[in-house]
Amino acid sequence: MLNGGGDGVPAPAATAETDATAPPPGGTPMIVFEAVTKVYDPNVVALREASFVIEKGEFVFLVGPSGSGKSTIMRLLLKELDPTGGRILVGGRELARLKGSKVPMLRRNLGCVFQDFKLLTDRTAYENVAYALKVQGESKRDIRSKVPEILALVGLGAKMNNHPHELSGGEQQRVSIARAFVNHPPLLICDEPTGNLDPDTSVGIMQLLYRINRTGTTVVMATHDREMVDKMRKRVIALEEGTVVRDERRGGYG
Amino acid sequence: MRARLFISEAFRSLAANISTSVAAVMTVLIGMFLLGLFIALGSWVISWTDHVKKDLVVNVYFCTDLTCGEEAAPKQIDAVRAGLASNPDVREFSFISKEQALEEMKKRYPEITGNLARNPLPPAYEVIPVDADRVQEVAASLEPAPAGVEKVTYGEKKAERVLQVATIIGAIFLVGSIILLIASTILIANTIRLSIFSRRREIEVMKLVGATNWFVRAPFMLEGIVCGLAGSVVAVVLLLLAKELALPGIMGRIESPDDIQAWSFPLVALILVCVSLLVGAVGSGITMRRFLRI
Repeated sequence: MLNGGGDGVPAPAATAETDATAPPPGGTPMIVFEAVTKVYDPNVVALREASFVIEKGEFVFLVGPSGSGKSTIMRLLLKELDPTGGRILVGGRELARLKGSKVPMLRRNLGCVFQDFKLLTDRTAYENVAYALKVQGESKRDIRSKVPEILALVGLGAKMNNHPHELSGGEQQRVSIARAFVNHPPLLICDEPTGNLDPDTSVGIMQLLYRINRTGTTVVMATHDREMVDKMRKRVIALEEGTVVRDERRGGYG
Repeated sequence: MRARLFISEAFRSLAANISTSVAAVMTVLIGMFLLGLFIALGSWVISWTDHVKKDLVVNVYFCTDLTCGEEAAPKQIDAVRAGLASNPDVREFSFISKEQALEEMKKRYPEITGNLARNPLPPAYEVIPVDADRVQEVAASLEPAPAGVEKVTYGEKKAERVLQVATIIGAIFLVGSIILLIASTILIANTIRLSIFSRRREIEVMKLVGATNWFVRAPFMLEGIVCGLAGSVVAVVLLLLAKELALPGIMGRIESPDDIQAWSFPLVALILVCVSLLVGAVGSGITMRRFLRI
């Protein structure tokens, strides 16, 4: 079941590593899913005994058709939902044990990027990014220095004071990535970040995420984008009807 | 530091959602104006019924040679006085001698009393009950009439009517105020809900970037307070205008002794402002709860 060859993509070096329970190379893993099951009312099984381990610094694609459970994994990681069964650990801490009042702290250490950007429409690009810092009680001075820096990093230095509706889809997604990354969280989760974008724009976004990954940030990305996954040659976890059907070190879309 | 941030957040979203803000202010304004009008009117009417109740007295008329054939003896009068003094329903009573009664009569009807050969009026006790409601009991305690008493009157019909009307008016005022208070609370809460519902996406985003519930809620509650304050202050100003401009025209036609007074205006204003601040803040806070479960 694991390690399926996909469409004949050779995965030479990866085969030994595909066992997700292999000892981590350095310290606690970033994410651990242990037989996680999520059942929505009434009896819709979104995730069935899903198990995988994601190490710090990894770049992982979650692939699979709509309704296969990708978004459920994202929402479980954000503790927007609680699992029906199994255990989820993020940075060594079990989410089920996390008190409701600690959820904001979890989310501050966890950048998230969505298909629909989720920007505050009545705020400029600058204010959108600044909001994520204000929420944490960051000082005005820090905000003034960090926000332009991160916006310049994602290539929006010139459009800081534009509102989301004045920006293209790709630019809005860059703002949302800037917002997610401005705290330099150890983990970035992206739910189909290129789902609304044309292929060329998507490449730009992927390059940006890749660069973020290179700084040591773990990136988990749910996607439908077959071409992108095949090109990147990164770890792929494939889901079908809530079950992990494939987990490859350097996989293709399948 | 925190507070400044909340205040600036609250005012920026008030400005950004100016139409909902205005709608909220208008809702508070209408609700509080009506409530204020009702309180003023109601308290005036209650004060009026109190005034009328004061006129409810029991008159004990003693015998004269014209009515009973002989004058009431001082002993008989003393006996009645003792009875009244020991009656717990009686608050106070005063003796009106024949001469005092005639003086009073002369003042009211000088043309009739002008050529009286002698004083035909009886001495009497005017008895004020502890409460207007007890007037019938006081009258009943003098039944049958003690020796030397010609008759006891307390304006049966008038008393009954006045007491009934007073009770009904009191009940209407109470029920009306409660209904109006509930209605305006629901109306304001609904406006708040609409405004929050239209911004639920915004709240979702705030929660997803790691805002605590209080960080999201505080600016909303501040907005509620600001809208409540604005609405109620305008309502108070309108009520003041109504009081100063419209009231003298109306009151000029109604006979109104000095002891009939509505609750003082500052008190009504204070009630309105407090109610709307409370409803604004608590309403926002409670309504938020549903949307914060993300």
